[in-house]
Amino acid sequence: RGQDPGEHPSVTLFREYLRLKTVQPEPNYDVAVRFLERIAAELGLGCQKVEVCPGRVVTIMTWQGTDPQLRSILLNSHTDVVPVFEEHWTHDPFEAFKDSQGNIYARGAQDMKCVSIQYIEAIRRLKAEGKRFPRTIHMTFMPDEEIGGFKGMQLFVKRPEFQALNIGFALDEGLANPTDTFTVFYGEKCVWWIKIKCEGN
Amino acid sequence: CIEESDPWWKAFSGACRDMHITLKCEIFPAGTDSRFIRAAGHPALGFSPMNHTPVLLHDHNEYLNERVFLRGIEIYTCLLSSLASVPPLPAEG
Repeated sequence: RGQDPGEHPSVTLFREYLRLKTVQPEPNYDVAVRFLERIAAELGLGCQKVEVCPGRVVTIMTWQGTDPQLRSILLNSHTDVVPVFEEHWTHDPFEAFKDSQGNIYARGAQDMKCVSIQYIEAIRRLKAEGKRFPRTIHMTFMPDEEIGGFKGMQLFVKRPEFQALNIGFALDEGLANPTDTFTVFYGEKCVWWIKIKCEGN
Repeated sequence: CIEESDPWWKAFSGACRDMHITLKCEIFPAGTDSRFIRAAGHPALGFSPMNHTPVLLHDHNEYLNERVFLRGIEIYTCLLSSLASVPPLPAEG
């Protein structure tokens, strides 16, 4: 998969994932699920797929803890990305071009394919070091977040498969910070969706 | 859930302190999947380890620097070690 022999393999995997066109309004979710299944097999993690509605599959990878009775850690991320106005981009938004500074340009580079791959690569390293932890860690990869999660997380939390994860604590996406500091979000604004119908004349 | 008495926050913020990471706690300015997780009764934090990075989500020329990305993997390595080792809570017997 890598063209650049000097590139860190985690970066190469990130760029590969950025090239998958999981862009709204018609994300190619199949290709993302296949990518995730391949990684689960590579890492030796359990992999479960839950189709919460037709064509909307939640992929779950599980690293079993040494005390699986305890509540688990959930690492959540979404696989879809918002659309692009390609004419305003300096590089193809699905090429994952990397410039001489190491900046990787792609739709999803911040929101939030970086985080999905960082979860995966962190677990890959911990496993390679032979680490084990009492609590089970689940990674969930969600469709539909960018259009409200109504065919993604909203349905998934109602499923018995979600209950079975026995979650104690969850991490999900945040935002970039231009300074030295990292931002962490402990809540979010309430969403009030309104529909406006304009009739032309 | 960002009080020192909360075991999850203690594990998260403690790991960040060990890494000499400065955190700024905020309310997310939009909606994410976290709201469904929280509504289902589970504590959740929103965190993407990107500092020194302009906020470009949903924008043209969205990018991330590879060094920031790689540092993020190290950060998760430490966070996960801490979170997955939180001792049994009273409710877990």
